[in-house]
Amino acid sequence: MIEMALNLLGVLGLWLAIEYCLKHQTTESLDDASLIPFADDPEVARRVELATGKRVKAVAPQELKPGWGNLEI
Amino acid sequence: MPDRVAWQDFATVEELTMSTATIGLAYNYKVVRQFVVATVVWGVVGMAMGVWIASQLVWPEMNLDLPWTTFGRLRPLHTSLVIFGFAGSAQFAASYYAVQRTCQVRLFSDKLAAFTFWGWQSVIVVMLISLPLGYTTTKEYAEIEFSGAVWMTVVWLAYAIVFFTTVVRRKTKHIYVGNWFFGAFIVVIAMLHVVNHLSIPVDWFKSYPVYSGATDAMVQWWYGHNAVGFFLTTGFLGMMYYFVPKQVGRPVYSYRLSIVHFWALITLYIWAGPHHLHYTALPDWAQSLGMAMSLILLAPSWGGMINGMMTLSGAWHKLRTDPILRFLVLSLAFYGMSTFEGPMMAIKTVNALSHYTDWTIGHVHAGALGWVAMITFGAIYHMVPKVFGRTQMHSVPLINLHFWLATIGTVLYIASMWVNGITQGLMWRAINDDGTLTYSFVEALQASHPGFIVRFVGGVFFLSGMLLMAYNVWRTVRVADVKMAELEAQYA
Repeated sequence: MIEMALNLLGVLGLWLAIEYCLKHQTTESLDDASLIPFADDPEVARRVELATGKRVKAVAPQELKPGWGNLEI
Repeated sequence: MPDRVAWQDFATVEELTMSTATIGLAYNYKVVRQFVVATVVWGVVGMAMGVWIASQLVWPEMNLDLPWTTFGRLRPLHTSLVIFGFAGSAQFAASYYAVQRTCQVRLFSDKLAAFTFWGWQSVIVVMLISLPLGYTTTKEYAEIEFSGAVWMTVVWLAYAIVFFTTVVRRKTKHIYVGNWFFGAFIVVIAMLHVVNHLSIPVDWFKSYPVYSGATDAMVQWWYGHNAVGFFLTTGFLGMMYYFVPKQVGRPVYSYRLSIVHFWALITLYIWAGPHHLHYTALPDWAQSLGMAMSLILLAPSWGGMINGMMTLSGAWHKLRTDPILRFLVLSLAFYGMSTFEGPMMAIKTVNALSHYTDWTIGHVHAGALGWVAMITFGAIYHMVPKVFGRTQMHSVPLINLHFWLATIGTVLYIASMWVNGITQGLMWRAINDDGTLTYSFVEALQASHPGFIVRFVGGVFFLSGMLLMAYNVWRTVRVADVKMAELEAQYA
């Protein structure tokens, strides 16, 4: 019996942890997150928008600037 | 496209893998290119080593009567080369590629990233030299001896710094789910490697573990199973969550399910190790715990597999024309199959039949060939044209041929090992009325010989596909004729 209770407690703990992590997420924000892989590729983003009807917040990758992104430790 | 340049801008692989900013003005693609090439090289060497040792089980004289080339020394070399050389390099390449693109920021520190490449390759070279010489901890998948293991930790920590600092510096608000999987893979592998390798050195390449007896075995299989769970699953799921949607051109089926998948998988996997020690000196409760956790693990595994498969909703027709997508989807099918087989084999009564037999080898290769290698092939074929500034691979029909060679090879391999495994399990447990064994060990070995031949043939198929890939990648990055490049582009 105690094993069953512990099992249920484990499942409940997992469910609560996931709900806690997702509490600030809305359907829209999760939709946006799922479109991240296409966001830096405007050409692909347009095709995904046509296929899914969802809007991809596409951005062109930044150009390399002298010294930018090369921070050394 | 800022991440591509015309073919005229470079000529050789050497120049490409040495140049930082030729392609990918915003992203650091140099280190990705390096790891992509390393993946292909170690794939060829590691799989060739596998075929060699498979041939030794068919023709024992293939051990050449030399101590360095015996099965006992080459088998750990095969597993080390394919796990750390091939699969490891693939995950470095894929994680560095995906984390930059999903965080929309250049990889942190070009120099530290370059250090991870050369450092990791040096670790593989240490394995390549020390294992045939007989230097080994004897712990499966953790054979590299003390100083090599310490160096591996240093390189891994550098990897963690590069990856997580890039995530911290991201331009996107959200951390894409693929990066969560890559992150968990990096953190957990560091923990497993350090804990399992805790030992007292007596020499540069000789040490004794701080654990003993059943504790030592438990720590080893806590590591060993999670080498599968985190090195060969979690990182590759990160790969799946980036490359499947990208190749399909559809977002992942359910982003919410991907988050549930992540937390459930990492919560459960870490407990499953004791199923490697059923019916041993390990306390019975620990064995049962390992079995129960392994069974529960089926749920997140299949949740992730279904999430990946369903990403193709409305785009299944693409499978007809896209062999890269075929690799990715078939890898998910094998992932589903082997994550069903694993929990089943973890049941103690099933394990009583399957343990120590070739069934285990077949199961491991269903995952290694069907899941790990296939998704790697798909990801590499996806990345190569992009990071080398091509519109597509040199030959799409060759990718298709590779797909079929790999599929046939995998099926031959696992089917022969199933037959062998069940044969061996049944012969070992058969007893006469007076309680004596019906069969000697050698009789079971003789009965396994046809299966060893089929396994060898399967391995040759798989290796042939890998060689085709090496040729295709080589031709893709070496093409220096624009007319030829245009002609090849017509294969699409």
